[in-house]
Amino acid sequence: MIAWVFRLSKWSAIAGGILLVMLTLMIVASVSGRALLDLGLGPVPGDFELVEIGTAIAVFFFLPWTYLRGGHASVDIVYTHLPRWGQRAVAIFSDLLMLTLWLALTWRLWEGMLEKREYFESTFILQMPVWWAYALCLVGAVIGCLAYIAKNLIMLGLASYPAGWPVEEAKEH
Amino acid sequence: MSGIELAAWSFPVLLALIFIRVPIGLAMALCGLVGAYFIYGNPLPILNQLKQVTYSTFSNYSLSVIPLFLLMGQFAALGGLSQALFKAAEAWIGHRKGGVAMAAVGACAGFGAICGSSLATAATMGQVALPELKRAGYSGALSTACLAAGGTLGILIPPSVVLVIYAILTEQNIAKLFLAAFIPGILAAIGYMIVIAIYVRVKPDSAGKMEPVPMKERWKLTARTWPVIVIFLAVVGGIYSGLFTPTEGAAVGAFGTGVAAWAAGGLNRRTLGDAILGTALATGMIFMIVLGAGLYNTFLALSQLPQEMAQWVLDLGMNPWLVLATVLVIYLLLGCVMDSLSMILLTIPIFFPMIMGLDFGLTPEETAIWFGILVLIVVEVGLITPPVGMNLFVINNMAKGIPITHTYRGVTPFVVSDLVRTAILAAFPAITLFVLRL
Repeated sequence: MIAWVFRLSKWSAIAGGILLVMLTLMIVASVSGRALLDLGLGPVPGDFELVEIGTAIAVFFFLPWTYLRGGHASVDIVYTHLPRWGQRAVAIFSDLLMLTLWLALTWRLWEGMLEKREYFESTFILQMPVWWAYALCLVGAVIGCLAYIAKNLIMLGLASYPAGWPVEEAKEH
Repeated sequence: MSGIELAAWSFPVLLALIFIRVPIGLAMALCGLVGAYFIYGNPLPILNQLKQVTYSTFSNYSLSVIPLFLLMGQFAALGGLSQALFKAAEAWIGHRKGGVAMAAVGACAGFGAICGSSLATAATMGQVALPELKRAGYSGALSTACLAAGGTLGILIPPSVVLVIYAILTEQNIAKLFLAAFIPGILAAIGYMIVIAIYVRVKPDSAGKMEPVPMKERWKLTARTWPVIVIFLAVVGGIYSGLFTPTEGAAVGAFGTGVAAWAAGGLNRRTLGDAILGTALATGMIFMIVLGAGLYNTFLALSQLPQEMAQWVLDLGMNPWLVLATVLVIYLLLGCVMDSLSMILLTIPIFFPMIMGLDFGLTPEETAIWFGILVLIVVEVGLITPPVGMNLFVINNMAKGIPITHTYRGVTPFVVSDLVRTAILAAFPAITLFVLRL
């Protein structure tokens, strides 16, 4: 189960990255089209909206991976001088905080999605319902919740890292 | 408790959380949410705000430039461009005293022109230059130090992720900031080369000798760096001329470096996967801090603290230059333990209104740009100052068998050069601003 969540986080990051590459290509096409207006080409309609929606989705899909790999910016200077039990206590504390924050944000994102759907809010040019974007972001947010739960279980000693996971690398800079 | 008192109390709490290694973005988010709850007196406004705030932060068009610049940097590392830059620089100056180390700095500057991140620049150039430096007989201390310092050019020379964040926070024009960063970035490279020239004269055994390369060969090697020049001109030129937005520029750059990587045979399924995961990791980190800082800054704005503090500094009637010097010193100290983006997101909402309220004999826009460049430089010094200089770690990790203490010692003169440059640029704003006045 834990191994599955870790794999899911990795694949979600890759999916987000592929989306980012697709956005890159879309923007290049749009810029080229705009430059070649005389030839009857034009920019991709709604390109700004697509970039905004795509970036938001990609970031939601990136976050679980960043967390599991210990990629978030933090200050190690006190931590490295703590005794082992102190380090563990601090790590558990911050994992629990992250889980709490993320559960709250996911819950609110869900409420936000319902609200957008209720009011038929849509994007300016493409007239795409905004709640679609929320729904896709929610997928990433839920994967985040799973990842943070998995991390908490590991830290509390209820589970262990999947085989081959570079634990030390994730901790030390 | 008044809003101001709450905000004042939130600082020690926030710092305590950060110092026990709670991720900085998380700590800022929590302090911001709890603080706002106390100011409102009930949770409803915050709960309402949270329905939108994550999505609207992550879908901010200005911020979309960041993952694209990161992707551009990742692709740039795959195309052998770092190798081409280093070889070309080495051909021109490698035979001089300390020349190979200078070539490494020069190549870092070139790579910085297509990569907006210091760590990526240090890591990429380290891979290429460390073995060459060793082969040419350079000491471990000088090799690692010149690459760690050279790595900071990745962010000093535009494009630069830190400048993008600064521009968004302070609502300044990214293109103008990029242009203004260019001369200070070049000065940084020259400063590092001077340091190397002095270093190898004081310690002659720290550098080896190399045979000069024939003129024809030099030009041939230089010609191989053309993708870097084309991509840099397209991205920065395009953004500055208004041909495209910074986001579009970054996408064009990512496309360009991607094609260069593919053409050089450096792009396959595995490297593409690694590039994507690297981008994901760094993007996630930055957006988490941005989200946390957004929540924390909303709370600060509610508390009125930034305005009150700016007014208070103004009322003290202190010399503007003294205030500026104090702010820069605070950044230098913070930089010893914190990464540059966190520092900027944490402090700019307070320091920026403070600085803007003072009179330096410049227009408001000039003050904002000049201050941004100064902040950019001092926060980057943090990357090469012990004990937590990330660039030092990155390079030292790659150079097997060189103790970190040697790297610490080697980097000191480079830090001195950074400090001298900061003082000069602070004392003479015109050096930074004259490009914009043309």
